[in-house]
Amino acid sequence: MTRGWRAALGEWWATPVARALVALALMLLIGCVFNADGAFFKWSVHRDMLRQVSVYGILACGMTVVIITAGIDLSVSSILALAAVSFAWLTLPEGWPAALAIPAVLVIGTALGSVSGVLAARMRIQPFIVTLAMMVFARGLAKVVSGGMKITNYVQEPDGTSHLVPMPRIFGMIDSRVLGGNVSIVTVIFLLCVLATWIILSRLRLGRHLYAVGGNEEAARLSGVPVARTLVMAYALSGLFAAIAGICQAAQETQGDPETGMGYELDAIAMVVIGGTTLAGGKGSVVLTLIGVLTIGYLQKILSLNAAPEATRLMLTGTIIVCAVLFQRGR
Amino acid sequence: MSRRVAGGLVWVAVCGLTAAGCGSGSRARHAGTAADPYVIGMSQCNLGEPWRVQMDADVRAAAAEHPNLKVIFKDAQNSSLTQRSQVEEFVDQGVDLIIISPKEAAPLTKPVAAAYQQGIPVIVLDREVQGDQFTTFIGADNVKIGREAGTWIRETLGGQGTIVELKGLMTSTPGQDRHSGFLEGLELDTHPGLKIVFSGEMEWLEPNARREMESALATNAKIDLVYAHNDPGAHGAWLAARAAGRDKEMKFVGIDALPQEGQQYVKQGILDATFLYPTGGQEAIDVALKALAGGTVPKKIVLGTRLFTKENIDTGGQAIR
Repeated sequence: MTRGWRAALGEWWATPVARALVALALMLLIGCVFNADGAFFKWSVHRDMLRQVSVYGILACGMTVVIITAGIDLSVSSILALAAVSFAWLTLPEGWPAALAIPAVLVIGTALGSVSGVLAARMRIQPFIVTLAMMVFARGLAKVVSGGMKITNYVQEPDGTSHLVPMPRIFGMIDSRVLGGNVSIVTVIFLLCVLATWIILSRLRLGRHLYAVGGNEEAARLSGVPVARTLVMAYALSGLFAAIAGICQAAQETQGDPETGMGYELDAIAMVVIGGTTLAGGKGSVVLTLIGVLTIGYLQKILSLNAAPEATRLMLTGTIIVCAVLFQRGR
Repeated sequence: MSRRVAGGLVWVAVCGLTAAGCGSGSRARHAGTAADPYVIGMSQCNLGEPWRVQMDADVRAAAAEHPNLKVIFKDAQNSSLTQRSQVEEFVDQGVDLIIISPKEAAPLTKPVAAAYQQGIPVIVLDREVQGDQFTTFIGADNVKIGREAGTWIRETLGGQGTIVELKGLMTSTPGQDRHSGFLEGLELDTHPGLKIVFSGEMEWLEPNARREMESALATNAKIDLVYAHNDPGAHGAWLAARAAGRDKEMKFVGIDALPQEGQQYVKQGILDATFLYPTGGQEAIDVALKALAGGTVPKKIVLGTRLFTKENIDTGGQAIR
């Protein structure tokens, strides 16, 4: 051992992951103090928290990829809603089997994401504008698909009659738990999304290209990175993750609601940023995002357990986002 | 090429507008027969909410009974200014009567009054406008509905039990009224056996209700009943209780009772009771017919509610005046 443990600790402390972990630990400490008569010490509370943040977390995976390219994707919440109503529409009134409906919905999400990507990369429109437009467009499309109503297992025929169809098993399956009822399936899906994002960012050439484009687009172009194709891939991935999140949302709500997920894009961005991935691009990782997701998830859980009024919640959430980002930036 | 396409589009648009103009006509009044039906303009503040979609559906269904009525529907997409111009358009089009479910009172009071002063009857639905320059206001009473829910809950529990309340947006009047009415109905002073053990805000949203209910389940070993300010909230609570294996332990009560939402939940045994928040669509057409015939109509109509339970759901619920 050539270095002392102090130096090693100092080095570790300087890494973004360490900072993010300390912020999460602080949040857990707050939970232990305000434990709502011991409720915070039950595993089921943590399990439920993990279920609640999963849909946000899946969106945050795609958001991480886009933010690393110095972009932003505001359309994820609307693509989520479109995916949720498409999934409900295909499986409930149309009666498609899940094995067909799920790929179809994932294709829809990926396609809309790709459209944003092409507009941003080839037509050189700013990502903020492109995805803002896509956010509005996809929300409208979700309303068209659903006819403005929630799609449930109560199906109305064109002749005015209506009947109940049995809930397809896929809904119950996605909204169930494994490992002795200790982990929700949606949480497993979320963790698989994190793993997939990690592989893309850290193990594939695409990942290197994403960081290169976000760090310095001109330099990336000069060193032979296919900038446009990389950007399209980033937004396509974000659309794909939003579609996965939409299926999870529909399964958990047992319906396709065209209004669902309103504002989720901002939560996803907050989770990415609290983790320590900067909006400037070129830096960050999905591991940081995972920690950010947990930090926000615990914050919401602690406020909910203690039945904090809505106004307090909003103010505290805002304050803590700023504190966490300042903390990330360092001493 | 693109210029030709654009030119074509403009041409089509002009033709469309002309046709629309001819269709609606600029005549002052219609005869009110099947050949020349009365034209009613309906301005809905926001079709993004299922309840308001239902309101339009109720108006449409009620009007379909009368071949001498034709209704034009417009959606203001949650913008008061859009809604204001819709009212002005109706006046310009020469409709015989206007039904409006306004987004806000202040910005819509003037356009409604302007139409009314030109002799066009205006029926205001659900939310009020200021002053008295309109024909009739039709609306429900959230305090009363909350009180009915509270009374039903007190009687059903036999004055004894633990209750979770999942509140709507508490900065909104419906949220405040459904809460205060509920407390009135519970009569906690004289029924010390009733306890509200958890009270969370779910802002009308099902995922939030599920989150709040999970907290309630984690902090309370025994819950007898969940009262949610709307049916999606009650449904979210049920999902949480079912996931925890505790849905059989408690009753679930919601509000709104939309045919495809709350009433279905009761039918499926998810909710034990839901209270109708009526849209007033049917009543609006009833009043419209009277006003068009030159009859006198009341200035204000407060709608009652209906209780739906497993026992009465197939017979259309029980009216509460």
